[in-house]
Amino acid sequence: MNRALPEMLHCINTPGNVAGSFTDMSVLERQRARIKWQQEQLLNQPPCYFDGNDEFNGYSMPNHAQDFHNLINSEVGLVVKADPGLDNGWQEFGQFGGEGSGLGSSGFVNGSGFELNYGISRTLSCPQEVAAEMEVAAVTETARRESVSPEKMSSAVGRESFKKRKADRNQSLKAVAEEEPNEKRIKECNEEDESKITEEYSNNSKNTTNNDNNIKRETSADTSKDNSKVSEVQKPDYIHVRARRGQATDSHSLAERVRREKISERMKYLQDLVPGCNKITGKAGMLDEIINYVQSLQRQVEFLSMKLAAVNPSLDFNIDSFFAKEVFPASTSNFPIGVQSEITNPAYLQFNPLQQLASCTGLEMGINTPDMALRRTTSTPLSLPETFLNSSCFDVISSTSIVFRISVSMLGTFFLTKVFSHYSKSKPQQLGMEICKTFTIIVEEEGSNDASNLKMEM
Amino acid sequence: MHLSLSLSLSLSLSLSTISSLRFWHDFLSHQVKKSAIRMLKQEFLKKWIMGLQICSASKKEMSILERKNAIKLSADLAMASTRNGSTNWSRALIANASKENDNTTLVHQILGKDSESMIKKASNSSAFRDKRGTTCRGKKMLRNRCCGIRRVKKMAASASSIAKKLVKKRTQVLKRLVPGGESMDEFSLMEETLDYILSLRAQVDVMRHFANAAPPN
Repeated sequence: MNRALPEMLHCINTPGNVAGSFTDMSVLERQRARIKWQQEQLLNQPPCYFDGNDEFNGYSMPNHAQDFHNLINSEVGLVVKADPGLDNGWQEFGQFGGEGSGLGSSGFVNGSGFELNYGISRTLSCPQEVAAEMEVAAVTETARRESVSPEKMSSAVGRESFKKRKADRNQSLKAVAEEEPNEKRIKECNEEDESKITEEYSNNSKNTTNNDNNIKRETSADTSKDNSKVSEVQKPDYIHVRARRGQATDSHSLAERVRREKISERMKYLQDLVPGCNKITGKAGMLDEIINYVQSLQRQVEFLSMKLAAVNPSLDFNIDSFFAKEVFPASTSNFPIGVQSEITNPAYLQFNPLQQLASCTGLEMGINTPDMALRRTTSTPLSLPETFLNSSCFDVISSTSIVFRISVSMLGTFFLTKVFSHYSKSKPQQLGMEICKTFTIIVEEEGSNDASNLKMEM
Repeated sequence: MHLSLSLSLSLSLSLSTISSLRFWHDFLSHQVKKSAIRMLKQEFLKKWIMGLQICSASKKEMSILERKNAIKLSADLAMASTRNGSTNWSRALIANASKENDNTTLVHQILGKDSESMIKKASNSSAFRDKRGTTCRGKKMLRNRCCGIRRVKKMAASASSIAKKLVKKRTQVLKRLVPGGESMDEFSLMEETLDYILSLRAQVDVMRHFANAAPPN
């Protein structure tokens, strides 16, 4: 490997191969020079590669094609690393090449996120790939075309097809390297490689929180490339490929695509948020629904403030009194833990001996206080049967916190209706803040019920 | 070579930790969201009641419409200050409220100690919005005139252009609905709408319970 490096640099630097100075070369030119050099090496001294095979004996795949592949990849890494005129991106390219060869796993040069996500599937599909490669090495071009197309849907397709492409390259180089369309395609695929890399760098430079997006996009880009490749094999359609590549590499269209994706993501969230919006497809319809929902909410706020203004003659609202009078009876039915510790603590203490009593009191209260139930808000009648249900199988699942909480709330109901009716008569001013807290929690409880109904997931 | 290998390995390791974190985040996000909404409502109720008390202290006799306006204003301000001025719509709301002179004291009292900076921010954004709004309107009028001519010229428009026009119209409506939406681009409009809907929903929930609990006189 190391021995091959100066040779190649020399080859590249010689004016016979490449016109112009080395540092002035564009990326594309460098790429071409490299391919040219590889071709020449392949043609002139094929045993060199089989010497190199010894270096890869430690890996689990003794397959010839795989070794060949690895060798080429490691070479790519080395060459690019040793390149004096290289920018940061190419350094990374070399890095990943080195990683690929070092790990012995197919060594396809790609972005880190992609590498990570599809590493598993890749290793799983490795024997198949090897077999496929063998097949590719054996059969003709038409058979290869057939083997590519059914795999279009799988996630590892871009990679596999790329490997096949490389295998193609090997094969074609070994057999007849001077075939014109083949060479063209090699260049094409190398250019694609480049464009992919540039795209990845632009992706990596973006925020890391968009990592998901990027990976997704990469996959789509990969599959699209694969599609284009397939179409190219079937029917050379260069304009189509060019357009796609232009779209991928152009920074403006990239930014535009990112923006559109972000917007559609937010639209998806909105779709989840707005009720009745998840059946509608199309942006206009969704926007309609969102507008309607926002308007209805705003109108509700108007209406409710009007109602409150109409109900209360003074803006004072007499908060303490009406919390004590109206809100609190409703709130005690689903009274949660920890609102008022000095009152719920006795409930905790008497919890075990009063297990049976608790269910009885719950039943009694449910039956004996119809007027209270009538005055309750909508969610409280729903919560009462729940309570009964849980109290009926009380002994079985008494360890779970939900039942514990519900039973405590029942006990709290039992005690608090008395305690508070007494308390609120005596000291309404002191209670004000505590009741306010309680009310808040009740509101939250019911709000969360509503939220689960409305699929509020934000 | 070794350096690059270790680098890439550490990179992949950190990425794997990130992905696992994301998994746990997804797993726990439901609870987090619920508690966040709970906190939102709590904050809102506290601030709203405070605002109502301030209103009632400042004015004794009010007509029903005045009362309604005061309730709505205090509710809006409470909601906006619950979002802590972190979003565009809340800032725009505060700016709109503080424009009217008789509301300024209320705004100051509800927003508390950091009201000054918030109002400054809000008025800045609103000024920006006003500027943008006027220019936009001018452009729109111009464009409308152009479009009218063009529409006459070619009657058959393609389906995609019709869809685009529909989306644009609706986006304009939505911009008018969300406070401060005139100055936003599409992406931030979507985000603000998300936030605004959540806040509105919390507000409506709290107000509904309040209204249900109020004694029918």
